[in-house]
Amino acid sequence: MKISFRWTLIPALALLLVFAACAAPATPAPQPTAVPAQPTAAPAQPTEAPAQPTAAPAQPTEAPAQPTTAPEATVAPTATALPTAAAGRTQIRWFVGLGTGTDPAQVTVQQEMVDKFNASQDKIQLVLEVVAYDAARDALATQIASGNPPDIVGPVGVSGAEAFHGQWLDLAPLIEKNNYDLTQYDKGAVDFYKVGGEGQIGIPFAIFPSAVFYQRDMFDEADLNYPPHKYGEKYKWKDGTEEEWTYDTLRKLALLLTVDKNNKDANDAAFDTKNIVQYGYEPQYQDLRAVGSYFGAGSFVAADEKTAQIPPQWADAWKWVYDGVWKEHFIANGPTRESQEFGQGNPFNSGKVATALTHLWYTCCVTDAGGNWDVAVAPSYKGKTTANFNADTFRILKASKHPDEAFTVLTYLLGDASLDLLKIYGGMPARTADQKAFFDSLNETWKQKVDWQVFVDGIAYADNPSFEGYMPNYNESFDLANVFLNKLYTTDGLDMDKEIAQFQKDLQAVFDKKATP
Amino acid sequence: MNSFKELLTIPRLKPIARREALQGLAFISIWFIGFFIFTLIPMLATLAFSFSNINLAQEEALRFVGFGNYQKMLSDSSLRNALGVTLKYALIALPVGLAVPFAVAVLLNNKHLRAKGFFRVMFYLPYVIPFVAGIFAWGGLLNPEQGWINQTLEALGVQNPPGWLNDPLWVYPSLVILGLWGIGSAVIIYLASLQGVPTELYDAAKVDGAGWWATMRNVTLPMMSPVIFYSLVLGIVGVFQYFLVPLVVTDGTGRPGGATMFFNLYMYKTFFTFQNMSYGAAQAWVLFILILVVTIFLFWSSKYWVYYAGETREG
Repeated sequence: MKISFRWTLIPALALLLVFAACAAPATPAPQPTAVPAQPTAAPAQPTEAPAQPTAAPAQPTEAPAQPTTAPEATVAPTATALPTAAAGRTQIRWFVGLGTGTDPAQVTVQQEMVDKFNASQDKIQLVLEVVAYDAARDALATQIASGNPPDIVGPVGVSGAEAFHGQWLDLAPLIEKNNYDLTQYDKGAVDFYKVGGEGQIGIPFAIFPSAVFYQRDMFDEADLNYPPHKYGEKYKWKDGTEEEWTYDTLRKLALLLTVDKNNKDANDAAFDTKNIVQYGYEPQYQDLRAVGSYFGAGSFVAADEKTAQIPPQWADAWKWVYDGVWKEHFIANGPTRESQEFGQGNPFNSGKVATALTHLWYTCCVTDAGGNWDVAVAPSYKGKTTANFNADTFRILKASKHPDEAFTVLTYLLGDASLDLLKIYGGMPARTADQKAFFDSLNETWKQKVDWQVFVDGIAYADNPSFEGYMPNYNESFDLANVFLNKLYTTDGLDMDKEIAQFQKDLQAVFDKKATP
Repeated sequence: MNSFKELLTIPRLKPIARREALQGLAFISIWFIGFFIFTLIPMLATLAFSFSNINLAQEEALRFVGFGNYQKMLSDSSLRNALGVTLKYALIALPVGLAVPFAVAVLLNNKHLRAKGFFRVMFYLPYVIPFVAGIFAWGGLLNPEQGWINQTLEALGVQNPPGWLNDPLWVYPSLVILGLWGIGSAVIIYLASLQGVPTELYDAAKVDGAGWWATMRNVTLPMMSPVIFYSLVLGIVGVFQYFLVPLVVTDGTGRPGGATMFFNLYMYKTFFTFQNMSYGAAQAWVLFILILVVTIFLFWSSKYWVYYAGETREG
């Protein structure tokens, strides 16, 4: 049979060209505007906020050179070749990256803790694996799926851990076997990790209560009293009148503290919304659920663990923020908060925002905000105060091949190594006896006499259930919530009731999705 | 024309020629090895994955699901939206992406232009800047609140300047403008091709009384058609793979209102955010087949509009 050369060549050439184009995106070929000039494989993703309760923003980092011959920490987008286990020792791998812990300075201290542990005994060889935050979920998921999981993961918050729902080891049998003393922690903090159906999947380590950060100078300039430092206290206006410390009071303050380039505040009829130079309020690094939970604890999923719901107080919180952005202009909108002038996603740190509701770990990221900020208590909503709560700890994977040895390492991290680690993570010790030393160390950094007691008092107002708790199809649901929050910050003129109803419908669709056919 | 059988016949070579051929094969084998290990084998692996249930977010025993992942795409409205976004963007970006570098090359090739070298360097220079850095810079320039472009427009008296990347109406033009940042390489290739057009053809056209447009239509464009064809094919591949810019400028959220949720970005999220490897693999194969079909169509159509000097065509 005669085969036409052309008809053979056309598809062959087409196939080759497609292969070549797909394989080499960085080709210096003529590029119409659509052609990306860079390889498209998983670039570092700029994030508006740390998605996890972390003590520091996730940053791709490199491992510092270690002075010893011990296994070196690595920071890589994927797992790197591991050192061979030392003779006679069981190798335990400690995976860092789902939360804080990837900063070079943190890696150095973590490696020091590993070296100390390895020098202290001859049964276990602890190996530190640090993966850049943006790649950590994928790296861990891949390691688990390929049957090569690490033993210990952390520090990791609730949200980061929920991405691996059902895969954490119940520590209760190991706690009992080793007579580990849980009374050194507050019972509430221990129970925080007691999850129905899964057991005791964590032991308290670092907690991050929330509070309102505020700029004293801006309040002074506007001739306003500072917000209250004690729960239950009222706000005192300069004329002597007092008012309940609620979100409405915060709104009034924020309007007075929002200033345009002509120095007019947001209450002024001549206020120029196009040229705002200072904003009154910022829900700093708070995701959609966190924003909602300050108005009252809740969850996206009903008790049946299947039905999507929007707690009414969360809907109120979103509307309050949305109006603050688009109608009253005391919160920066999406493009503004992303601009360099307003901190590229960290507006309070730009020094141009008067108040920000966020967690204790935010001390990581406030170095450019000037040295005269302080903290006040979270406001109440409808008579109830909720100061939501982040908590990080180390967890052991169910898939760990050496749970006993992993528990030994876990008790070391929560014990002898804990103070050094908490210091670098910026975490408040869950162990009450250690809390004073922690705040003393913070005072060395922040010399303006911050009222840290506000955070300690805030523990009593933690959200329960945690806003970060389980929801079906977690990763996709979490992504949908992020997209919705982004929409609120970037789109003017939304009918919020309609949007919220649609969001609930979309969330239900994601909950109902079968991950695999 | 040679038959396919003749093409496959390996001619007997003299020892020197054989040695040269072997040396050539040794050099090219490095590429082949890389291609097999890093492209072909992973591609075939994803094909196998697409018929399975690998989802890193869920503990489930590995099983064969047939065409389940492909069927799922038919009812996935987000995927349909992503495909629509990609096609809409292609309709704007491809013509602009072909025409602008071509026009710039024609300008740079103009005999009346002074300081040609300077302009060529200026047009090429942005191409050497890391693309992500360029995206960030443009993101800042196009920021509707604080960006220099809108501040300039406002200073010029424009009351409501565009929302650029935050406005569904302006987001595609914004992305096209942003993409023009990297046309330097295309300009150089067009320029080289323009300079390769035999001057006798222009002289003949001049003698025949052809003006600028007639010369462009009857001489320049036909002679440039292989390069335009090449750009078009890579442009289409690029449009289908469009990913980095929307990922960086919108944090992968697809804002505004899903207008930047391109097919490739959705696929990336399926793989690495939702961790649904099998479904992502199925999407990757659908994307591959789409690109392949369009490319084959282009190659087929090329006989009607691409001119290869010296080629004899069958009646």
